[in-house]
Amino acid sequence: MSHEYVPEIAVDREGNEYKVQGWQDDFYGGKLGFWLFMFTEVLMFGAMFMALAYYNHLHPQEFIEASASLNRLLGGINTVILLVSALTMGLSLLKMRAGDVKGSKLMIWATIVLALAFLGIKAVEWTAEYNHGIFLMHGEMLPESGMSFGKKLFFGMYFTMTGIHGFHIIIGIGIMLWLLKRINAGKVRPDHHILHWNIALYWDIVHLIWVFVFPYYYMIGAGGATGGH
Amino acid sequence: MDTNIVDYKKERLVYYKVLVGLLLLTAVTFIQPHLFMEESTFMAQMLIALIKAWLIIMYYMHLKGDTLIGTMGIFSLIIVATFFIIVIGFDVANFQFGDESYITGPTSAGVESAAPTHH
Amino acid sequence: MSKSYFDETHTAIGHPKSTFMQWMLTIDHKRIGLMYAAVMFAFFFVAVATAFLMRLELFAPGGQFIDGDTFNQAFTLHGVIMIFLFIVPGIPAVLGNIVMPLMIGAKDVSFPRLNWFTFWLYILGCIIALASLFTDAGFADTGWTFYAPYSITTDTNVVFTLVAAFVLGMASILTGLNFLVTIHRLRAPGMTFWKMPLFVWGIYATAWIQLLATPVVGITLILAIMEKYFGIGIFDPAKGGDPVLFEHLFWIYSHPAVYLMILPAFGVMSEIIPTFSRREVFGYRAIALSSASIAGIGYLVWGHHLYTSGMADIAKTIFSFLTFFVAIPTGIKFYDWIATMYKGKIILSTPMLWALGTIITFTIGGLTGVTIAMIGVDIHLQDTYYTVAHFHYAMLGGVVFLFFAGLHYWFPLVTGKMYNETHAKRAFYLQFVGFNLLWFPMFIAGYYGMPRRYFDYLPEFQIYHQVSFVGAVLFIAGLIYMFIVFFKGWKSGNPSGPNPWNATTLEWHMPSSPPPLENHSKVPYVDFNPYEYHHGEPVVKFDYATMKRID
Repeated sequence: MSHEYVPEIAVDREGNEYKVQGWQDDFYGGKLGFWLFMFTEVLMFGAMFMALAYYNHLHPQEFIEASASLNRLLGGINTVILLVSALTMGLSLLKMRAGDVKGSKLMIWATIVLALAFLGIKAVEWTAEYNHGIFLMHGEMLPESGMSFGKKLFFGMYFTMTGIHGFHIIIGIGIMLWLLKRINAGKVRPDHHILHWNIALYWDIVHLIWVFVFPYYYMIGAGGATGGH
Repeated sequence: MDTNIVDYKKERLVYYKVLVGLLLLTAVTFIQPHLFMEESTFMAQMLIALIKAWLIIMYYMHLKGDTLIGTMGIFSLIIVATFFIIVIGFDVANFQFGDESYITGPTSAGVESAAPTHH
Repeated sequence: MSKSYFDETHTAIGHPKSTFMQWMLTIDHKRIGLMYAAVMFAFFFVAVATAFLMRLELFAPGGQFIDGDTFNQAFTLHGVIMIFLFIVPGIPAVLGNIVMPLMIGAKDVSFPRLNWFTFWLYILGCIIALASLFTDAGFADTGWTFYAPYSITTDTNVVFTLVAAFVLGMASILTGLNFLVTIHRLRAPGMTFWKMPLFVWGIYATAWIQLLATPVVGITLILAIMEKYFGIGIFDPAKGGDPVLFEHLFWIYSHPAVYLMILPAFGVMSEIIPTFSRREVFGYRAIALSSASIAGIGYLVWGHHLYTSGMADIAKTIFSFLTFFVAIPTGIKFYDWIATMYKGKIILSTPMLWALGTIITFTIGGLTGVTIAMIGVDIHLQDTYYTVAHFHYAMLGGVVFLFFAGLHYWFPLVTGKMYNETHAKRAFYLQFVGFNLLWFPMFIAGYYGMPRRYFDYLPEFQIYHQVSFVGAVLFIAGLIYMFIVFFKGWKSGNPSGPNPWNATTLEWHMPSSPPPLENHSKVPYVDFNPYEYHHGEPVVKFDYATMKRID
């Protein structure tokens, strides 16, 4: 009872032959499936952005002030880190397709290191905010504190969305380690790399989400208290 | 599509070109508030993000030339956009009790303004 | 005797020898569908029992058997099980899994291992959902909609239910994803989209809703959990959050979810009507496109749940207009089915009886839905028994009736045996009469102002509740009767042969009955339409060994 694919041919009434696509070795099917999965990610974050935009509409000025208080330098460094990690992941896939398995693995390790650096900086940022009294269930964010609604909502959404994004990064590190294991086991090869392809896509969607999360939280208040929206 | 036939050097060049583009756009992100569209940082930032997203999707995610997934993607984005338009656009912009509401009203600046006690 | 899928299987991991482990690890779409059915109907009966408990309590005014809090938990349990555990996965997971790959001539779904994983994700969700029954805090008492801010502040164990709904949502997304890729990639050569059976069209439209609506409710539930335990403020008025936003986000999914339930059911109807009328379906393209447009418009009508929640008048008007609009493709389908039957050779087998019964009950359910889509009427009828009766007519009298129709229709395909037609018909009549007796009085009670979700009521409503109770007894009796008929049919029914109904679609052209592990002996070339009848006989005939046409 093996799953090996036996190529099959369907024949029409004129005797013409047509290749039958099996579920095994369906590269495009695997890719399509993963793209569909990524749409669900987009919708999840889309719904959160919708909530964010709604509260932004209600409290435009407070959102700008809260945004201005975030650490743009650390946020910017993280943006560049993710950007470079997207390149290393892309290059690892390219090397795999070109047959350079060793180089490919090296690039995956580079991506993992960059992802860890991202999480480290994130941790520094959150710690600093915690020390300023801004964290979930803590200090200024408690219901009885006098901080304005707009700021509470901004920071509440900030911790939620960057938190969920960070969770995606952790998952990403996990599946990259798994990918390395699969490469070592010879299950992912230059001629059979759909898993590698999809994990590279996953890393790109994580990057893509950050491309929107970063400006919405860090940059809308960069123009000073009078700019924005 | 057989992805095994790879022009390694050519594709690597694409990756680096896109990287440079993305880095430049990130730099623009930082100088934008002092450079252009000063009156609407939000719109400018989202515009830059859209260009970056387009670059990533087309080149890093290899969507260029894939009509099926591209069509599906546009279809999904239209649905998200419609949520935005109907909820934010029509409902929020026209909510007739906006000023009276404790949540949406302009007086909701802080807890001290008539907020009910929690629990 | 050739081997069927009951005798051998592919597994996700290893090569287990024991039959039990072979079932647990199977990646065969037919076995997975059967396991879904077994689990789902077990939960279905739990939810039916809960509903019967509520009916018992409501037999007379005042509290008799359960107090108000238990009643709240009872209707939440009923709703959560029926919606998240039974009817949302329902037809796609059972009939879609078993029949859809056969209909398009595929060996399996595109990702069989993912299908296996999805099944166990579903089981995990079920366990989490029911686990809170056994915790100290007790099952959630929020109703299946978990409206904030009550769900944020209630002391009952709402977090289990929220997590369960999220996990079940994930399972639903993955099922939809799997089916979408399957339909795009694994159709037999020659089968264009316009040659697919209409059930596959229904599954296709459904899969899009599963994929694109479920994530919204998933993230909403996550946000509700974050709100409850981390106080992020998004749904909490004390921090400026807007509870109506929760309702919006919730119904962005949960309204399309009802189309997610009904579209595959309509697909079942579109299979049964031409088969038992022995006629090509009338308006094939119209039915296929109306599935797609119901799915499309269905995304944009969620606001009609919020007429009384606080929404802009202009938004209400738009939502009301769009809601009316959904009735148009639905009406097109019904006219097409009736036109199919016109001058057909109608054979009143049990599946056809269920389908015809649904035409009556769903028409009532659908048209009463149009009345409450009107803003003014809805403000009168919101949260009354009228609404309850409406959605039970649409869901039970539409989706579940057609689910039963499909079970009767594909029973010989799946088991290779035939149930006793006489008894199956009796079970149908019993349930049909019981169903109408159960729900129709609620329209009247609701119209006179009987509010839903109350465990007590004014004496003037007693007569409606008592008629309902009689209907409930009849309906449950019929339900049990029907499952006994199934059980006996499977155990000791006569062999049915591969095509007992003289149907035309590909799942009836199996080399043996029940089907072998990898479905058709050869993948056929599809150069015919799905429902070709000539003088009441199927046009397309195959040599089942080579799958070449011999007509």
